Amino acid sequence: MNTKNNLIKILVPIIAIVVSFLVGAILIACIGGNPIEAFSYLFKGAFGSASNISDTFVKATPLIFTGLAATFAYRCGVFNLGAEGQFVMGAVASIWISTTLTGIPAPLQLVISIAGGAIAGGLWGVIPGILKITRGLNEMIVSIMLNYVAILFMGYLYSGPLREGSVPQTGSVTARLPKLFSQIKIPAGFIIALVLAAVIYYYLFYTSSGFKLRTVGLNRTAAEYNGFPVKKLILISFIVSGAIAGIGGSVELHGTQFRLMSGFGEGYGFDGVAIALIGQLNPVGTVLVAYLFAVLRKGATTMQVGTGLPTSVIDIIQALVIVFAVAGSAFVNLPKIRQVFTNLTGKSKKEGK
Amino acid sequence: MRELQRIKSCGVYMKEILRMENMTKKFGEVFANKDINLTIMEGEVHTLLGENGAGKSTLMNILIGLYQPTRGDIYRCGEKVKIDSPSKAVKLGLGMVHQHFMLVEAMTVFENIILGVTNDKSIFIKKDAIKKEIMALAVKYSLDIEIDKEVTEISVGAQQRVEILKALYRGAEVLILDEPTAALTDIEVEGLFRIIRKLTAEKKSVIFISHKMREVLEISDRITILRAGRTIATLAKDNTDAAELANLMIGKELVTCEHEKVTNTKENIISLANVSYNKNSKHSGIRDITLAVGKGEILGIAGVDGNGQSQLAQMITGVISPEHGEVLLHAKKIAKFIPGYFIASGVSHIPEDRNKMGLIGTMSVKENLVLKRLEKPEISLGKGLFLKNPAMVKCAENMKDKYDIRCESIEQETRNLSGGNQQKIILARELEENPDLLVAVHPTRGLDVGATRFVHEKMLDSRDNGCGVLLISADFDEVLKLSDRIAVMFEGQIVGVYSGKNPPIKEISLAMAGKKMEQGINA
Repeated sequence: MNTKNNLIKILVPIIAIVVSFLVGAILIACIGGNPIEAFSYLFKGAFGSASNISDTFVKATPLIFTGLAATFAYRCGVFNLGAEGQFVMGAVASIWISTTLTGIPAPLQLVISIAGGAIAGGLWGVIPGILKITRGLNEMIVSIMLNYVAILFMGYLYSGPLREGSVPQTGSVTARLPKLFSQIKIPAGFIIALVLAAVIYYYLFYTSSGFKLRTVGLNRTAAEYNGFPVKKLILISFIVSGAIAGIGGSVELHGTQFRLMSGFGEGYGFDGVAIALIGQLNPVGTVLVAYLFAVLRKGATTMQVGTGLPTSVIDIIQALVIVFAVAGSAFVNLPKIRQVFTNLTGKSKKEGK
Repeated sequence: MRELQRIKSCGVYMKEILRMENMTKKFGEVFANKDINLTIMEGEVHTLLGENGAGKSTLMNILIGLYQPTRGDIYRCGEKVKIDSPSKAVKLGLGMVHQHFMLVEAMTVFENIILGVTNDKSIFIKKDAIKKEIMALAVKYSLDIEIDKEVTEISVGAQQRVEILKALYRGAEVLILDEPTAALTDIEVEGLFRIIRKLTAEKKSVIFISHKMREVLEISDRITILRAGRTIATLAKDNTDAAELANLMIGKELVTCEHEKVTNTKENIISLANVSYNKNSKHSGIRDITLAVGKGEILGIAGVDGNGQSQLAQMITGVISPEHGEVLLHAKKIAKFIPGYFIASGVSHIPEDRNKMGLIGTMSVKENLVLKRLEKPEISLGKGLFLKNPAMVKCAENMKDKYDIRCESIEQETRNLSGGNQQKIILARELEENPDLLVAVHPTRGLDVGATRFVHEKMLDSRDNGCGVLLISADFDEVLKLSDRIAVMFEGQIVGVYSGKNPPIKEISLAMAGKKMEQGINA
């Protein structure tokens, strides 16, 4: 891709984040807080101790998965808003596997369980995909609707057949994802997320299949005229997107929550969409933005405890990041602004000589 | 509106209706326009002649308020005006019909015409009254339109008439037509010229942008030649000829391309037997076509745009499948119509809409060039499991040099290139594999003289290398010049096949109009 465009793509989210924090600071000052103190608590909460750093990674993990799921589908030009449902279905499959497949070594059980989560998420993703390519249904509506089906199905399971004890929740899984490296305790799930991001990056930018998938996303008609299997690629993107979210659900189950209960996976689907957009649909950007969101969430609680400011201030900052990043992307695409950028780079080239 | 009336009243005394003085527009370090002077008289057809990139479009975009000039003044009826927005241009009575029409496809003709303009303040649109008004205008200028049809349902020629009517309805006194004949066939062009003459008879002025010499000489009163962003000369049509104009335009002698026409065709590469598709549609269907393209020949399809040519091209590239009849490719019957199969069998395609069907605008030149070679061992390992970027760069650089693609770098997005360079990218991609069959649809639409010649040469080269070429073009001159055989398509049928050597032009023109002149004229 064009270096100049790449630079703009990196700059836009960074500027959006900086501006959001500035506006957030004004907001904090307006409600009588000290912005510097508030932000120092925020970062202390996210990075203040080894266990805080570890918790931030834990919070980032599911967001990376749903962000990657959204990124992958967007790259093929389709909108998977059903990551939350696929996330939940992945976890549902995993809990079923973990409770039925007992008596085998824990690592093997983990592998099978996560693979099962991927398949379940992929199957949940394939439904809007098939309906889109065969019947032309809007994939956004179908995938959102399927979120409710998945969440209600999970509700039925933890309050019915898989319920354990008096509270409506399932029993806990025995096979758990470990935390690696004794010092900082990086959750294994986070490592899985990073590996997955790298694989997706490689697939999208270094394989012919990924190239074709991006082509379909950018110009479906041209992709068809150039002989690419458009429908097949769209279906693949749904399956893979769903599978990524499904792995996310499975990892969340085995690494953090250990059991299904009310609120499992809530909001991760839409957060993923926002993260993918701010991350400029790039797997690396998605990971970084997901991490930033995790920092904000982890730090928000500490800030509330330390300064008495409500955590919703941080929610506002998070929302502002989304608004500024999307507005910024639209802004730099305005013809006049593009012109300014061309002029700037033209001048710097000349000076360079 | 008041501004317009004031200017209208002054028009009685003055013949000059519009003047641009020392217009200069800089894009970065590049002068797109430099000190251009242009004067438009009332009731004249003034042609802007120049190659692609000569600055015609920039100048017109300034005139209609899309660009702000770096320097220079515009005078409307002798009064200095500042056109800072398209709506200001409309107020001043300037209307433009863009080369790529600005119509909302999902809306009806009527809705498109009234889009954004209402003359009365009531909340509800008085449809019948406005419709009557529009139809009166249409009748006055002999613009044949179907007002209640959706834009997608009408032909390109009809869409253009809608654009003209739209401009007139907005009170245009000066009508800018940007490459209006690019998408039309000869007969439609004649119809357009009749409309233009009607307009000028009603004291409207027309700025006509083109680089088709014959048309320019036929319709213009005066001609201004632009080259590299500067005015070279303004000439009265009666004092000049095609040779002089061509020389002024390109700044050097034009070498006409002479080549031998092939008369004996060998084995067929593709043959269609009684093929039909969407039979009941006259404009987007194919009826009982039997046709074959042989090795090493150019078969030209002549015809008024929208007589099934698009569907023919789509069928023999696998985009749509026929409802009846059979298609043989390399003497093998095709069962499944998918583009991938045709490409694998050596069929290349220069599609009719290069931006929509050919290129991925937001991808780089490099990525567009290697699009069809992703699985070739020279640029990928393991059939596409790993793409070697350095090899891709090398491959793209080679193609760039070979096909004279002019761009800042191969990493540039293709949407920022000129039409000619975009077409060269497609040409490079489609011809690099030495195809057995090339389906070229409007291969030089909107291209300048130099780029057109380049495309023609490449097509002739591949013919000489044994490639069969199916040329579909709305430019009759192009079909005549290149084709070894000419087939005429009318309402989805092949109504005649003629030899490309000394073709019976009169007869072909009649066939294109469906044997009856009157019928063709209004098409």
